[in-house]
Amino acid sequence: MTLADIADILGLVFIFLGIATIIISAIGLFKLPDLYLRASAVGTSAGLGVASIVLGALLMDFSGLNLVKAIIAIIAQLLTSAVGSMAIARAGYLNNALPAPITHIDELALTRREVSGGR
Amino acid sequence: MMSWPFRIIGFLFWYAKEFITSNVTVTAEVLRPRRRAKMRPAIVAVPAASRSDSEWTMISSLITLTPGTLTITISKEHKILYVHGMFVENRGQLVAEIQEMEDRMLRAMRRAPGDLTRPTELPVVRPMDEAGESR
Repeated sequence: MTLADIADILGLVFIFLGIATIIISAIGLFKLPDLYLRASAVGTSAGLGVASIVLGALLMDFSGLNLVKAIIAIIAQLLTSAVGSMAIARAGYLNNALPAPITHIDELALTRREVSGGR
Repeated sequence: MMSWPFRIIGFLFWYAKEFITSNVTVTAEVLRPRRRAKMRPAIVAVPAASRSDSEWTMISSLITLTPGTLTITISKEHKILYVHGMFVENRGQLVAEIQEMEDRMLRAMRRAPGDLTRPTELPVVRPMDEAGESR
């Protein structure tokens, strides 16, 4: 086995790990009860899922230029997914998407005005 | 105390470890059948030691990036991060977790760690009257 073969196999493993992470987080979207928990579940696919697919592709086709591209892609993906989930969570809270009853502490509720009926 | 570049590298490794373990716990939680769920979600106000805008941005993005914790909003005037956690046994546990991450991040970001004090008491936050900024 040459080094290229090993890198190929490792790359496939990483790509399949990424796919599995994305599928599981999609299951989480259906299963979890509220917006915030779902945003947390999607975080696994947007972070680890995409990062490990990019890493796998890099291993299968390695070159210096691809390494730079992969690093930029992963950093940009992580930053934008974090900012995106924060924006979604905040928008949801401001639009009265209350956390599910299973949420046992809610200190942000102290900053809310009384909600008068469905707005 | 390690010198600055080593603190940055140390933080990156520590964060990578946290990132992977939290991904695994959240994935396991999704796969676990509902009646054995360990989920204890909570939204907690965490006092923060960040000062500059870049520190606020970094800490809230890093919190959101680890699955299982999610920054919903921050209040710079009260120095508070509102964090939604997926596995929170009690208030103190999540606060300690977030503050440990913040301490490590600030030591990596600042050449000299400087002041890491946090407000000890939670302020009384009142909703703004009209669509104000801190709504």
